[in-house]
Amino acid sequence: MSEISKGAPGRSTLSLHKLGVFCALSAAVWLGTAEAPTKLVNAGFSPFIISMGMVMGAFVARWTVPTLLKGTTFLFDDLRDKPHLIVWALIAGMLWAVGNTLTIFAVRNVGLAIAFPLWNTNSLVGLFWGWLLFKELRGSGVKEWSKVLGGACAIVGGATILAIATASHSDTPGKAAIGIMAAVGAGCMFGTMYIPYRKAYISGMNPLSFVTIFTFGELGTVFLLTAINTGGIAPVFAELHRARPMLFWPFLGGFCWVIGDLFQQYAAKYIGIGRGIPLSNTNQLWGLAWGALVFGEMSGISSTGKLMIFAGSGIMILGAAAISMANPGDSELVNWKFAMDRECDRYSLDTEQVEAVVAGDDPHAGKARQRRWWEIVIMCAAIGVFVWLALGTQAQKISINATWAIVLVLLTLVSLGIGGTLLWRRTRFS
Amino acid sequence: MKRSTLVCILTDVHLWVPLGVLILGTTLLMTLR
Repeated sequence: MSEISKGAPGRSTLSLHKLGVFCALSAAVWLGTAEAPTKLVNAGFSPFIISMGMVMGAFVARWTVPTLLKGTTFLFDDLRDKPHLIVWALIAGMLWAVGNTLTIFAVRNVGLAIAFPLWNTNSLVGLFWGWLLFKELRGSGVKEWSKVLGGACAIVGGATILAIATASHSDTPGKAAIGIMAAVGAGCMFGTMYIPYRKAYISGMNPLSFVTIFTFGELGTVFLLTAINTGGIAPVFAELHRARPMLFWPFLGGFCWVIGDLFQQYAAKYIGIGRGIPLSNTNQLWGLAWGALVFGEMSGISSTGKLMIFAGSGIMILGAAAISMANPGDSELVNWKFAMDRECDRYSLDTEQVEAVVAGDDPHAGKARQRRWWEIVIMCAAIGVFVWLALGTQAQKISINATWAIVLVLLTLVSLGIGGTLLWRRTRFS
Repeated sequence: MKRSTLVCILTDVHLWVPLGVLILGTTLLMTLR
């Protein structure tokens, strides 16, 4: 496996560990940017509708850039090779939907300061499942364990400090027990969602195929939950109609979320969930940057609060650095291979091919596939939805710092450029 | 999908762990409403 991971001829020789780290950090940037539209929750719309808008945006966005990268022929071929993974991709989408709805209850009842650190423990849950079910970190020494576990704990700790500091001036209604249960539940949902991620990638599935099915499970469940919470299907559509003037923003959040999630999927593939998820959970830093620099949320925070923000950010960065340097050794890679072999044996997969795909050298990745006419129609329709929503958008009464917004958008695009280029050069998006 | 594949799916611990968590989470959500 380590031999294959050096890269196919004509491709970049970047190590898969470094590639995975870049993907996780790019995921953090895009997932953090996706949080910006949630500011509209305070603009008089139901959080369920905001969440629904974001999921609908993610669903539509799936058919824009990802379709451009890999057409539907590739998607159908990949799904035909591993049809059993459709079940896991749907479950992952459902887990996300339930987890996300639980976060709404958590924030309502205990506020972001308590809720966020609790559900941010999802990286520790993911790390546990990675160790238990996929043999991640097995065979690694004390040094690697300390870096990964210490780094993950530092990220959770840093997130806790950040959440306490930034939410110190927000109102938190009672019902603490319910809120804490909801937050812990959300952490378990998100952490467990990474089981299907990892299973798909050690079976040689492409992240673009996984995300496609994921969005179906996600949209279906969110629609069902929103219908239950708003009293039926008709009220959902009525609420969506009422929210039409601001719906573009959660859709845009959904678009950013899809790009971030794709990077997170590649991270889960190339460095595992134990390392990839804590790293991509540094998205809170980017969410904080948007809040502080663009939406001026630092203005109401005391100097102690600001000090806590710097300390929390520093701890998170140190945690991320520790995990980035925890390169899996040969003995751990042997265990990763055992986990992969289990999938190949169980589901009669071509071991040689799966091994190549897992190592980023999908033999079919660079092969030119016939593009279908409907791909253009689907892409135009998806882009059309975004344009239609943008045209009918009314300005929200939220003051922003345009200069910082431009700077952060540019940085976000730079991360996409770097991450995308590295993935293309090393794996051809395999 | 082949019957043997279906049996493999249904007897896979990787299915029942996330499914169990999903059921528990959904139950929690319905209780909290």
